[in-house]
Amino acid sequence: MTSELLWYASRATGVASIVLLTAIVVLGTLLSGRRARPATAAVRTALHRWLSLGMVVFLVVHIVTAVSEGFVKIGWLAVVVPFVSGWQPGWVGLGALAVDLMVALLVTSWLRPRLPERAWRAVHWAAYALWPLALVHGLMLGTANEPVLRGVTIACAAAGASFVAWRSLSSPADRNRRRDVLAGEWS
Amino acid sequence: MRPNAKLLDDLTAAGLTGRGGAAFSTGIKVRAAFRNRADLIVNACDGEIGASKDAVVVAAHLDELIRGAELVAPHYRQRVLFAAHRGSPTLAQLADARLEVLAVPHRYVSSEASALVSLAQGGLGRPFAKRVDPVDGGRDSTGRRVHPTVVLNAETVWRVAQIAQHGPGWFRARGTHAEPGPRLATVTGYLSRPTVVETEAGVPLRELLDAAGGLPGDARSVLIGGLGGAFLTADEALGVRWSTDDLRRYGAALGPGVVTVLDPTRCPLDIVGEFLDYAAGETAGQCGPCMFGLPAVATAWRQLRRSGSDAALGELRRHLGLLPGRGACAFPTGVARFGTSALRVFAGHVEQHRAGACSYRREAAHAHA
Repeated sequence: MTSELLWYASRATGVASIVLLTAIVVLGTLLSGRRARPATAAVRTALHRWLSLGMVVFLVVHIVTAVSEGFVKIGWLAVVVPFVSGWQPGWVGLGALAVDLMVALLVTSWLRPRLPERAWRAVHWAAYALWPLALVHGLMLGTANEPVLRGVTIACAAAGASFVAWRSLSSPADRNRRRDVLAGEWS
Repeated sequence: MRPNAKLLDDLTAAGLTGRGGAAFSTGIKVRAAFRNRADLIVNACDGEIGASKDAVVVAAHLDELIRGAELVAPHYRQRVLFAAHRGSPTLAQLADARLEVLAVPHRYVSSEASALVSLAQGGLGRPFAKRVDPVDGGRDSTGRRVHPTVVLNAETVWRVAQIAQHGPGWFRARGTHAEPGPRLATVTGYLSRPTVVETEAGVPLRELLDAAGGLPGDARSVLIGGLGGAFLTADEALGVRWSTDDLRRYGAALGPGVVTVLDPTRCPLDIVGEFLDYAAGETAGQCGPCMFGLPAVATAWRQLRRSGSDAALGELRRHLGLLPGRGACAFPTGVARFGTSALRVFAGHVEQHRAGACSYRREAAHAHA
């Protein structure tokens, strides 16, 4: 009974995490390249940051319940070390990779005032690997036999992918201006 | 006492500051250069609009300039580069003297210290953020490690040689307590004999103008410090001493020692607009406040020139207010100072534009008829 409750909790927080993560990624694409007016960007930045911290809570519950549920043997090590889970090592491993990247993102964002902007930015690009890893992890494990949950995950994938595509195809004012200026004589 | 320590003591006692405009203590910079065995870039670009004093230093005092460079960078492993604009007579003179030269592109910000450092190590001539001063190394805007390099204005290096030879007492005998020593000034613009004069801080500005033939009776305004400087009315210019303490009340400073008399036969808003259009085109496209802010200021100025309206004035002030202190170099700060002081000195003329009756346009139309 307890175990079943844990299983449901793990499912629910997993889905909540992927929804939040997708929202965070979408906000991130909207923030890149100084596309928005400063006031709008400030609201988006705040949402991006606070949702990230909020998602960590769901993710921790997701992981703790999944591992301690006990019906399948995942093991605590598999939370951070990929591909060592006793059950579905591949798909659980993708989740572990996502956790590792997320820790890196959180720590660098925490230390951002003390890091070179370049270093923070380089690590932050990992978000684009983190999100698909988490999506596939969720799609293949949690929601396989549950059409509604699977629908949520697929909707997240579609929404996120379209924003990422928009971000990479549209050219922000910053990039255009920098390119125009660089075309001048500088050496 | 080791010769190095003697030079540092002399520079500190003399109170020599950088003559490129920033007026930072040369003694502190040279101390850091010794500590890091830094390369030296002698900046003879005359980068400020109107300036030509570095050209005079190279043309008339090259031996002392070279001696000064040897004093700042005495070790054989310290590379010494002489920077001047590509194609300039100054660059040719430096090259003819078999000095290692750095040909600098004709861009306003390319003669800024960090831009020269970037160019010298094979990068683009664009400034970078100096979280670590280049004299201590650090990294440029592409993330490449910077070899410790000290950048000194050509006049500054020449003064180093003079102080080493004549001593700090000789140096301090001229100028003010805050701004000691002889210094060069470029006096140019609407004058009968534009010139470079050796003078000192604290002299009446009128004296500098007299050296260039005197301020013409019809002159109305004087620009102190070029595109990074500030305007004075003709009356203010005739009554003020040429020192930062005295010029401060007009928002001006000695800076790189440029004094430009504006052409009184042209609409001052047109002249200022040309400066601002030029500034907008000279951003290195790196920092947002500069690459978007300067074109915004130039556009707002054009709007003000057309309409003279309060809305245009408000928009201009808003954009000018966003620039000071921002960006990797002082370019946006300087342009904001320039634009703000133009608004102060030409406020009366803005009123004419508001009424749709610029007196210069009327005269021009008259001349046509």
